Amino acid sequence: MSMTPATPTQLKTKAEAAYAEQFESALAGLPGAADARRAAFGRFTAQGLPHRRLEEWKYTDLRAAVKEALPPAPAAKAVVAANEVTAALGPLAVIDGPRLVFIDGHFSAEHSVASAIAGLSIATLANAAGASAPAGDVPATVALNHAFASDGAVVEVMAGAKPTGSLVIVFLSTAVRPATITTRNIIIVGADAAASVVEIHAQIGTASTHTNTSTKLQIGDRAVVDHAKVIIGASGAIHLANWDVSIGIDALYRPAQLTPSCGLARHDVNVTLNGRNGKLDFSGIALGRGSDHIDTTMVIHHVAPGCESRELFKTILDGNARAVFQGKVIVDKDAQKTDGKQMAKALMLSPNAEFDSKPELEIYADDVACGHGSTCAEIDPDLIFYCRSRGIPEAQARALLLESFVGDAIDMIDRPDIRRAFTEIAQAWLTHKSA
Amino acid sequence: MLEIKNLHVKLADEEKVILDGLTLSVPKGEVHAIMGPNGSGKSTLAYVLAGRPGYEVTDGDILWNGESVLEMAPDERAAAGIFLAFQYPMEIPGVAGLTFLRTAVNAVAKKRGTKELTTPEFMKLVKAKGAELNIDVEMLKRPVNVGFSGGEKKRSEILQMALLAPSLCVLDETDSGLDIDALKVVSDGVNALRSKDRAMLVITHYQRLLNHIVPDRVHVLAHGHIQKSGGKELALELEKSGYAEYKSKAA
Ligand SMILES: Nc1ncnc2c1ncn2[C@@H]1O[C@H](COP(=O)(O)OP(=O)(O)O)[C@@H](O)[C@H]1O
Ligand SMILES: [Mg+2]
Repeated sequence: MSMTPATPTQLKTKAEAAYAEQFESALAGLPGAADARRAAFGRFTAQGLPHRRLEEWKYTDLRAAVKEALPPAPAAKAVVAANEVTAALGPLAVIDGPRLVFIDGHFSAEHSVASAIAGLSIATLANAAGASAPAGDVPATVALNHAFASDGAVVEVMAGAKPTGSLVIVFLSTAVRPATITTRNIIIVGADAAASVVEIHAQIGTASTHTNTSTKLQIGDRAVVDHAKVIIGASGAIHLANWDVSIGIDALYRPAQLTPSCGLARHDVNVTLNGRNGKLDFSGIALGRGSDHIDTTMVIHHVAPGCESRELFKTILDGNARAVFQGKVIVDKDAQKTDGKQMAKALMLSPNAEFDSKPELEIYADDVACGHGSTCAEIDPDLIFYCRSRGIPEAQARALLLESFVGDAIDMIDRPDIRRAFTEIAQAWLTHKSA
Repeated sequence: MLEIKNLHVKLADEEKVILDGLTLSVPKGEVHAIMGPNGSGKSTLAYVLAGRPGYEVTDGDILWNGESVLEMAPDERAAAGIFLAFQYPMEIPGVAGLTFLRTAVNAVAKKRGTKELTTPEFMKLVKAKGAELNIDVEMLKRPVNVGFSGGEKKRSEILQMALLAPSLCVLDETDSGLDIDALKVVSDGVNALRSKDRAMLVITHYQRLLNHIVPDRVHVLAHGHIQKSGGKELALELEKSGYAEYKSKAA
C-alpha cells in the first residue's frame, strides 16, 4: 500500500473557531442585512487570520498575535461622565467642530455634539440605509470588520460645502473585561467640498481590547480633505485599522497618523488616485517602547495621470519595540507624469528596537518620477554635545532633538488645533522617555 | 582666571595621546592666542575645555575661577561661563535657531539663578545683540546652521556667544572659511565682547585673525604642549618662519 499524503485540512486556530461561534450569536443583534454579514464572515473564514507567510503580513503575524478571540463588547452599562470623555481625549479635547462619540462600538447621543450643520449629513451605521456589509473581495481583517461592525460614522459632505472646524469621531473603550470593538465608517466628500476629519481611538477602561476599525473615504473632484487619526491612552491591545480612500480629479488628501505606544497596531492605508492631478500628502508618526509593535502598510495606487503622492513616515523606538513601514506605490500604464515620493526615517533609542522598512515600486508607465528613501539611526551624540555646550541639560537636549525629528511630520498638518494636539501628545510620550 | 595645569589627554577608546603636559593660564580681561600646526591638538584642547565626550584626561587639571571643571558636565560648564565657538558648528535640522537659543539662554539662566526670559523679552535681547554685533538675526528663524554658509555659521556662533554672556570664550579657528568681510564682522563681534571680566582663548592656525583680534599673549602648541609663549609679535614671527621649526622637533 502506498503512502498517500493526507489532504491538508484547513486547520482553524482556537481564535478563528471562537470567532465563528461569536458571529452566530452576535448576528441577530447587528444592524444591516444578515445575508451580507454572513457573506462577509464567509470571506473571513476562507482566508483565516493573516500570518507571516503572506507577504503583506510578513512582519506582523496576526494569527500568532491573536491568541484569543475576545468577545464583542457589550454596550456600556456604566454611565460615562462628560469629564471622563474629555480626560480621555487629552490634548485632542479642544479640537473644534461637531463630535460623534462611540462608546464600546455603539453610538452615544449623549456625548455627541452634532447639531444640524449646513452641507453636512451625519448618520450612524446602525441606522443608515445602505450601510450593509459590502460585497466583493476584501482582505481577511476587513472581512472580519464587515461581519462584526456594530456601528460607525456615516457622513456625507455635500458638494461645495466647507463646514468649519473638524468632524471629530471618537471611539472610546470603557471595557473592564477583555472585548473586541468593531466599527466601520463611511465618509463621502462631494466635489469642491473641503472637510477635516479627526478619528480618535481612546480608552478609559482597564481591560485589554481588540479594535477592528475600517474607514471608507471617497473624495470628490477638487475637494480638499484633512484626515487625522490618533490612538491615545491604549495599552496592551491589538488595533487593526483599514483605510480605503479614493481621490478624485484635482482633489487633495492630507492624512496624518499619530500612533504612540498602544500594544500592537496595524494600519492598512490604501489610497487610489482615480482622477487626474489628484494629490496625496501623508504624514505618519509611530512612537514605540516596551514591546509595542506598530505596522503601517500602505498601498498607493496611481490610476490617473499627473497625480502626486508624498509619504513621510517618522518612527522613534525604545526598549524592544518594533515598527514596520511597508509602502507600495503602483503606477498604472495610463498614469503618466506620476510624481511619487516616500521617506521613512527611524530613530532608535535602544539596541533592542527594530525597524523594518520595505518600499516597493510597481511601475507600468514610462514617464514617471518616483523615489523612496529610508534611514535608521541613533540620536547623534555630537548634536547632544552641541546642545549641552550651550547649557541645555542632556534630558532636555534629547527631548529637543526627538521633537525636532517628528516635528517635520507634524508640520505637514494644515490645521493649527490638530497640529498643536499632535505636538502635545508626541511631547508627552517623549518626556515620559527622557524623564 | 583659567588655569590649565600639566594637562594630559588621550582618546577615550584608543591609545592615542594628544596632549602631554600642557600648562597655560589666561587671566580675566586678557585675550590669549594659541597657534600651532594642523593636528597639534588645538581643537582637542578646546573640546576638553568644553567637556566633549570621547577624550580622557589622564593627568593634570583645568581650573576655572579656582575650581576644577573636569567633573562638570558640558551644560554645567556652560552655566559656569565657559563657551566654545566651534571650528565646525553643527547643523540641527528641525530645530529653529530661536527655539534653540531660547532653550539655551533659559537653561543657563535657571542654573545661574537669574531670571528666565519670556518670549518678548528674549526677542528684544536677540534684536539688541544682533544690532550690536551687526548680525542679521533673520537667520535664527531657520533651523540651527542648516544650509548656512561658512560665514553665517561663524556669525551664528558669535551671536550665541553674546546671548549666553560667558566669562570664558574659547574660539576654535573662528577665521577658517571666512572671506575678508565676514572675518571683519566676526572679529568686530569678538572685540565687542572683550571686557575686564572675560577671558578669551583664540585658537588659530594663521596669523591673519590676530590682525583683527589683537592678543595679549601668543602661545605655540606643538607635540602636545606649549612650545613657546610671547607677546603679539610672536604671531608675526610665526607668519614669517612658519611652523617648520616646531614640526622638525618631532623628527
Ligand atoms: N575624536 C578623534 N578621533 C580620532 N582622532 C582624533 C580625534 N580628535 C583628535 N584626533 C587626532 O588628534 C590629533 C589632534 O587633532 P586636533 O585637536 O583636531 O588638532 P588641530 O585642531 O590642532 O588641527 C590629530 O592627529 C587628530 O587626527
Ligand atoms: Mg582644529
